Amino acid sequence: MPYLSKASKAIHVVANRTYRIRPNHHYRLGLPYSGSNERGFCSNPRNSNRKDENSVIDLSQYPTDKIRNFSIIAHVDHGKSTLADRLLELTGTIKRGHGMPQYLDKLQVERERGITVKAQTATMFYNYNLKDSNTNYLLNLIDTPGHVDFSYEVSRSLAACQGALLVVDAAQGVQAQTVANFYLAFESNLAIIPVINKIDQPTADPDRVKEQLKSMFDLDPSDVLLTSAKTGQGLEHILPAVIERIPSPPGKSDSNLRMFLLDSYHDEYKGVICHVAIVDGSLRKGDKFSSVATGQSYEVMDVGIMHPELRSTGFLLTGQVGYVVSGMRSTKEARVGDTLFHSRTTVEPLPGFKPAKHMVFSGLYPADGSDFEALSNAIEKLTCNDASVSVARESSTALGLGFRCGFLGLLHMDVFHQRLEQEHGTHIISTVPTVPYIFEYSDGSKVEVQNPGAFTADPKIRILASWEPTVLATIIIPSEYVGAVINLCSERRGEQLEYSFIDSQRAFMKYRIPLREIVVDFYNELKSITSGYASFDYEDSEYVASDVVKLDILLNGQPVDAMATIVHKLKAQRVGRELVDKLKKYIDRQMFEITIQAAIGSKVIARETISAMRKNVLAKCYGGDVTRKKKLLEKQKEGKKRMKRVGSVDIPQEAFHAILKGFLNLDPRYSTRAGHGLTLNQSGIG
Amino acid sequence: MLKSTVAPMLLTLHTKTKSNNFLTLKAATFCSTFPQNPPTVRRNASTNTLTIETLETPSYKLPPASAYVHLPFCRKRCHYCDFPIVALGSTSTETADDDPRISNYIHLLIREIEATQKTQIDQHPPLETVFFGGGTPSLVPPKLVAKVLETLRSKFGLSLDAEISMEMDPGTFDDKKLRDLIGLGVNRVSLGVQAFQEELLKVCGRAHGVQEVHEAIEIIGSCGVRNWSLDLISSLPNQTQEMWEETLRLTIEAQPNHVSVYDLQVEKDTKFGSLYTPGEFPLPSDTQSAKFYRMASRKLGEANYNHYEVSSYSKSGFECKHNYTYWINKPFYAFGLGSASYINGTRYSRPKKLKDYTNYVKNLEDGLIDCSQVDDEVNEGEMAMDIVMLSLRTSKGLEFKSFIEDFGSEIAVELCKVYEPYMKSGHVLFLDDQRREITEDEFSTLVLDDEKLENEIGFIRLSDPDGFLLSNELISLAFGVIDP
Repeated sequence: MPYLSKASKAIHVVANRTYRIRPNHHYRLGLPYSGSNERGFCSNPRNSNRKDENSVIDLSQYPTDKIRNFSIIAHVDHGKSTLADRLLELTGTIKRGHGMPQYLDKLQVERERGITVKAQTATMFYNYNLKDSNTNYLLNLIDTPGHVDFSYEVSRSLAACQGALLVVDAAQGVQAQTVANFYLAFESNLAIIPVINKIDQPTADPDRVKEQLKSMFDLDPSDVLLTSAKTGQGLEHILPAVIERIPSPPGKSDSNLRMFLLDSYHDEYKGVICHVAIVDGSLRKGDKFSSVATGQSYEVMDVGIMHPELRSTGFLLTGQVGYVVSGMRSTKEARVGDTLFHSRTTVEPLPGFKPAKHMVFSGLYPADGSDFEALSNAIEKLTCNDASVSVARESSTALGLGFRCGFLGLLHMDVFHQRLEQEHGTHIISTVPTVPYIFEYSDGSKVEVQNPGAFTADPKIRILASWEPTVLATIIIPSEYVGAVINLCSERRGEQLEYSFIDSQRAFMKYRIPLREIVVDFYNELKSITSGYASFDYEDSEYVASDVVKLDILLNGQPVDAMATIVHKLKAQRVGRELVDKLKKYIDRQMFEITIQAAIGSKVIARETISAMRKNVLAKCYGGDVTRKKKLLEKQKEGKKRMKRVGSVDIPQEAFHAILKGFLNLDPRYSTRAGHGLTLNQSGIG
Repeated sequence: MLKSTVAPMLLTLHTKTKSNNFLTLKAATFCSTFPQNPPTVRRNASTNTLTIETLETPSYKLPPASAYVHLPFCRKRCHYCDFPIVALGSTSTETADDDPRISNYIHLLIREIEATQKTQIDQHPPLETVFFGGGTPSLVPPKLVAKVLETLRSKFGLSLDAEISMEMDPGTFDDKKLRDLIGLGVNRVSLGVQAFQEELLKVCGRAHGVQEVHEAIEIIGSCGVRNWSLDLISSLPNQTQEMWEETLRLTIEAQPNHVSVYDLQVEKDTKFGSLYTPGEFPLPSDTQSAKFYRMASRKLGEANYNHYEVSSYSKSGFECKHNYTYWINKPFYAFGLGSASYINGTRYSRPKKLKDYTNYVKNLEDGLIDCSQVDDEVNEGEMAMDIVMLSLRTSKGLEFKSFIEDFGSEIAVELCKVYEPYMKSGHVLFLDDQRREITEDEFSTLVLDDEKLENEIGFIRLSDPDGFLLSNELISLAFGVIDP
């Protein structure tokens, strides 16, 4: 079964000490890299870092030894986007004070939440005096999403880099996401430049952070750069370090073209625009190329760099990073991590390509049943730009026609919801998200269940075994909260794998927790028991055997399909009680008594009743009252129209939202500013 | 000068007619009767289930046989009242004979009646009902009432056995005044008692006490008025179950042949509105006021009153004919401040402020207003909603066959289906043509066959008291069928 053999990402757990660096690994820190490619491109070194907007950019001046591809990785709000903005300004790629902050985060949702969802690239030109000679360098900043939901995308983006700036807040120090990102970069064999940022803060303690970097990652304190992206302090050392410490791209310019697909987006006028990195060979306008993943062929209609907007150059050479427009119709054809090559050549595919893996599923329905077409259009348009969402039609007795969507994770789901509303103005009702369970039935079948509604209803077929996905969670907390966090994790059926201390004040823990338990409000709980000082991260892990049951919600005996969930047997009672109580709060009195029940099979585990409405009558209605009374009743009719109906019970939309809400508040990549205790935007995920 | 006074009125009229939002649909339906229109128009129109043929002589197109006359004067405003009234002040009592505010108003009212277009000039049937509402009509001197009645009689004719009702408040009339009114033809009294407890009358801001109530009842008896209504309000602030029981007992003892019971409605711009929230202390809870409603229904029923409309009870044959015209969607004239007429399918409300009303009468005299001439803009969906809303308030209920005839069987059948669960819960009753109740079992067979349903069902009514108590819910469900 492919589900069971789900690859868990290698994590580096060495017996009783975590995050020791593998002994035989050595960092390529500070090693001047001697470029292997000495092919004589015509050279006409530029003396200015500023490019004239109208000038033609000749990429042939930049053989691989004049190219550096790097990324910035950081815990949320440690200053990644501001640092990126400063580097773009420093190289004249954008003008200082022009353009919006967080330049590379183009989506509204990214700006609002301070997160990166889509990968972006930016090409910068930088004149650097190395060994007494001025040389122009081409620097590609590859901005990656930071969240676990997008860890595959991150790993692909990092695969196109040779180095990374690991940015750590000078006051907060190492956080959960710092750890996760470090290991992603580490696995990709990147040269890592540690940067302690925000040193202008009064609570900055760079020495302590240096110690953490040393003890956690074995990073030499003397290699650490100190900066403040806000004041500009120390920024001048960054790009020289990039040039000196990060190797040039290793590709061969005389080999067949191999290019790496980083991400894609849909442009109304140009169609699909792919961000690519040329690993070997070169790509020119008019070339025909094919995809390893889909086998489809395309012709290059336009090719160029992001500087920072589309800038046509006619070709891209080995090691360069840019965009390709090729008449691709849908981003579904552009698979992140795919290898693209010249048609009619044969190449070895680049390693690491995986199809999108959906970990969270939910039903999406139009809030107003008549808006199905609008929702359908919006989802189609949005998946043009986010091919990682799986979409299948489904229908619900309560909510009508809708879609079952699969997401990479909860944040991905939440972002998708938000983009549907913000970019397409659709109003949706989402069902409670579910993780994919695996069931083995007595008839010998074994199925992945992505929808509680799909749980077999045939009483003749027994469930022999069931499995649920788990995650490996990393939690970093001030030591006084250890007890509370251990309680929370064990209550969430977590299994402790690691427990150690980063320094005298901060504990580090690693748990295996069922994904389902993270989905349900885990992060809010963690925040509240640690007064917001916890930092948390997780990565997908394997499926484990688990005793799960389907929990039905019934209104006057009729099951509400959109409210069914799959829960662990031990949790069913509590979840059932909570759902029933919540519904009682949101469903108004109606003309007859309503019973709300939570049940497993035929066994009712929680029950509430809403007594019948007592009266709703207009005292009198004479000639002069008719118009007014009618308006009132029409208003009442409109109110009923917005309700969802199961049997004869009207359910307000708010009830669905309220149920979902308990399951969200999910954002794990979040931490408060240590020492300040300030609460960030709770969705702040970088 | 003239133009500036006219403009706002026309504006009012314009927006009024525009509020018919199905206007275009109706227009298309009417167009389809002309031969030059392509047949597609007709098909399109008929998919909306409402066809032109059925509306050839609907009741709303008949000339009105009823007139409402608004006499807005009160001694003071009651705390629950948001009606257009003119408070005269505490000094004015029944000796307000020569109060110029009253005589000026009556003069204006007469001008309005005289300037009103008759819907059928040749053969206007005489009026069958006249209702003097207010305000407190009993504050108006009988000689002025006589002028109004005289004007109505000469303009429209007044049937010999017309029902002429007048709302009267305790403490505003004596034996002589009532006898004078009877002499003018007033033959039905609607007495605004509201409550039999001093503290409740006080809390309502009524201008009379319990003593005046008893006196008024006595006067009515001694003058030999047989047809009179005793009007009550339930769910008043601090009203207890014992008080309500007492009120009902004293009401029955007073032997009116009609009782109106209004559940207190807290209106926004009233003193009550600023003081109280419905269902919250000191107002009775919803459960409590539902109990009051049930109690009234039971006690009055036991005393042989028929609960013939949500808030109306009467001894057999003493239903208020005038009010009944509202509930069966028949047309009626209306005259006076803030009053609403229903002519040719159009509801038209007069201005609520005296100054605006004065201008209105002027414009009417100048021929600038015709509140009945909007014939081809009448909208069938709106009409169907009116009919459902009004008829379901009555114990007679919705006449199913004529509803099908007017609005098509599709809507009618759909309505039955929507009401099916509420039939089972006892809120809605389906009756056959002989008014025998259709059982649940019978209904479940009928509902399988639309044609049977159309044939077998004679009436749909709300049950008393369960269905009446939730009439808003049930009627708005029906609205959802008519205008989804």
